Amino acid sequence: MAQPRPPKLPLEHIRAVVLTQAWAGAYTTMLLADMGAEVIQIESLDRPDPWRGGYPPRLSGAYPENQPGDRPYNRAANFNSVNTNKSGITLDLNTIEGKGLFLDLVSISDIVAENFSARVIPNFRLGYEFLRHVNPSLIMLRMPTYGCDGPYSTYMGNGGTTEPMSGLSSLMGYGDDPPMNSGIMHTDPVAGLYGLSSLLIALHHRNRTGEGQLIDLSQQETSVHLITHQVMDHLMNGKNSRPMGNRDARMAPHGNFPCGGDDSWVAIAVRSDQEWQRLCTVMGKAELASDQRFASLQARLHNVDELERRISQWTRDRKAYDIMSQLQAEGIPCVPVLNAHQVLENPQLKDRGFFGQVDHPEIGSHLHAGTPWRMSGAPTRVRTPAPGLGQHSAEILSTLLGVSAGDLASLEEKGITGDTPSLDD
Amino acid sequence: MGALTDLRVIDLSSNVAGPLCTKLFADFGADVIKVESPLGDDQARRLGPFSDDEENPETSGMFLYLNSNKRGITLNLGSQQGVSLCRELISAADVVVESFRPGAMEGMGLGFHDLEDLRPGIILTSITPFGQTGPWRDHQATDLVEYAASGLSYVNGLEGREPLKSPGSESYYHAGLSAFAGTMTAICSRDRSGNGEHIDVSILEAATSIFGPQLLASQYSGSPPRRRSLNGPAGLYPCKDGYVSLNVRHEPTWQFMWLFFGEPEKADDPRFATQEDRRRRSKELEELLLPYLAQYTREELFHGLSPLRILVGMALDVTDVVNDPHLQERGFFTQSDHPVAGEVDLPGAPFKMSLTPWQLKSPSPILGQHNQEVFAGILGHSPEEIERWHEQGVV
Repeated sequence: MAQPRPPKLPLEHIRAVVLTQAWAGAYTTMLLADMGAEVIQIESLDRPDPWRGGYPPRLSGAYPENQPGDRPYNRAANFNSVNTNKSGITLDLNTIEGKGLFLDLVSISDIVAENFSARVIPNFRLGYEFLRHVNPSLIMLRMPTYGCDGPYSTYMGNGGTTEPMSGLSSLMGYGDDPPMNSGIMHTDPVAGLYGLSSLLIALHHRNRTGEGQLIDLSQQETSVHLITHQVMDHLMNGKNSRPMGNRDARMAPHGNFPCGGDDSWVAIAVRSDQEWQRLCTVMGKAELASDQRFASLQARLHNVDELERRISQWTRDRKAYDIMSQLQAEGIPCVPVLNAHQVLENPQLKDRGFFGQVDHPEIGSHLHAGTPWRMSGAPTRVRTPAPGLGQHSAEILSTLLGVSAGDLASLEEKGITGDTPSLDD
Repeated sequence: MGALTDLRVIDLSSNVAGPLCTKLFADFGADVIKVESPLGDDQARRLGPFSDDEENPETSGMFLYLNSNKRGITLNLGSQQGVSLCRELISAADVVVESFRPGAMEGMGLGFHDLEDLRPGIILTSITPFGQTGPWRDHQATDLVEYAASGLSYVNGLEGREPLKSPGSESYYHAGLSAFAGTMTAICSRDRSGNGEHIDVSILEAATSIFGPQLLASQYSGSPPRRRSLNGPAGLYPCKDGYVSLNVRHEPTWQFMWLFFGEPEKADDPRFATQEDRRRRSKELEELLLPYLAQYTREELFHGLSPLRILVGMALDVTDVVNDPHLQERGFFTQSDHPVAGEVDLPGAPFKMSLTPWQLKSPSPILGQHNQEVFAGILGHSPEEIERWHEQGVV
């Protein structure tokens, strides 16, 4: 009888050799790996991925129990969260041998992806026009902050620059303060999702025609798409939108209201006059239901400070989950504002098995956020932890490229590959 | 030639997330047929913005943006004839995208297994606030609610004030893009296997996936991250004519910045000797830097410090973004000529593909614009039949 084999993953026939780092590019290639692609992460021994939190003695990561340990670059939360399901090898692309091995990998891969600033790839002389000589059907994704051409294209960027440069920071805030960046650099994963989308479009085109192509993605541009509503208001009406806090032009009340307990809040959105009436009933405030100051959306927006004060008076002594149960029973959008630990305990996410548990050899077992979509035919989830620095160098170079043990030792000797960073002081 | 010209997508979705998913299909060449109820009650038709704030379901800016390059038809899916025509359409399609409440498609006889019988290899993508299963599957949500439940709000904003959502409809973008990526993954897999797939997108899960780094960090540290402390750096620093983001903690950008300011000896200030010192004393550092930054404009700092490989960004407002010379040189904005709204500029290609570029070919459809073309042209029905359905309120 045939052995049951593990279910096929949708992209398990695809190999990607990637130079992605930090979040945007790493998110693209992690999702590719989640879908079953073999993703080989190329790293440098002397210039770490910033999300590895630096090499000793300059450390900036978040480590288990705040202990960097002997190999802090393998213990940084940021890197470990966005590189699961990938293999990791190290190669010095400034050396002829290192570059040669990289090109050998490119020649047997489907995809190359990177998110350096735009000058890096030309400096390495690894542009698409060159790589396609090595692999004529190659798909190459480049996703620098400002894209591959234009006046800013050589400038460095990260989430901290992309948010202000795309207008998001000017719209973030309570309405009365200077521009503000988000608590996380969320423009990165948005660019990451667009990047993955572009690769899949290119893969389908290649499936039809055999042709590869080059993709130029500007993270500034993908971020501007996020504020299309405000951009359109300028393009159509010349309006320069300002921050609105949590308020909304089409819904009121619409905000995060204080609850009993430390830093506890509940999100409530009322979409119609009917929902407003039902909210008043739940709150037991018949006088609000008949108050003309709150009778229509326009009236509620006009008196929004007083409206929010009244809602807060009611929420203040209650528990966020209790409020949610009462409001959702009446069909009113409502949920507690969850912190990270509460998110991990969210009954909806747990019931759907959103989190995947993975055991990291140097850290132990933790929960990872799942893939943002489910497929009926394939278990797309976290399978292996993020690779330690250079963890798969020997395995990949020997099995895929046939590098001999002797040559490997010599490469390690010269610092071209290995698993120990070259520390400069 | 578009990369997706061999695909037909039946778009039963509304509002932002589903239409954003099908927008990418349409923009790269797929034949996307947007199905609306004859009442035209897609919320995106009411989202605006509107020219001169005059509400008109044909001129909502978000609708124009989300639905260009699509064909638009009307079908009353509450009627048997409407569902029957929908089944005919699906028989000639590769992908169906929908955002009804969980169970609604099955209720109409359009569940995944029904669709598979109709069209083997069909891909059905369902987008809902919390997913097709689970105790919250029937709960109500908006972007504010999704953002709060994902953990993203809790860390966004200032200590001591309420958590903030992001401007716009960010969770819907995460979900729409995830829906597209999931659907395209299924297409690429189907290219080889011929198998269909049901994609289940929970807007909450799409948003929570973005919170992954903080979720792991909070397990490592044992405590959940909080909103920005008032004693920390503001993130953005005031300068002569606005605000800039600036990161000079790392070597050698610290030295380069002082060279730019013309006071290289300041780089040796013992209070800020190491990267760790600069991080720990970020509030003091801010006070030290402000008088220097006040002497320069945003552009002087951006164009002066960036070539020194310093991470610096200008806090652009919406007007600045629309007029940004870099975005203009890259041709980011594009123009649509709509029969009712007239000439409207729109954000254009989200990425540039060398062989199969993004294209704006047609403006968003007015309600029912392509009924004849689709029912007669694709499905082969007679003008009389279509007229009769029109009278019956089916189309």
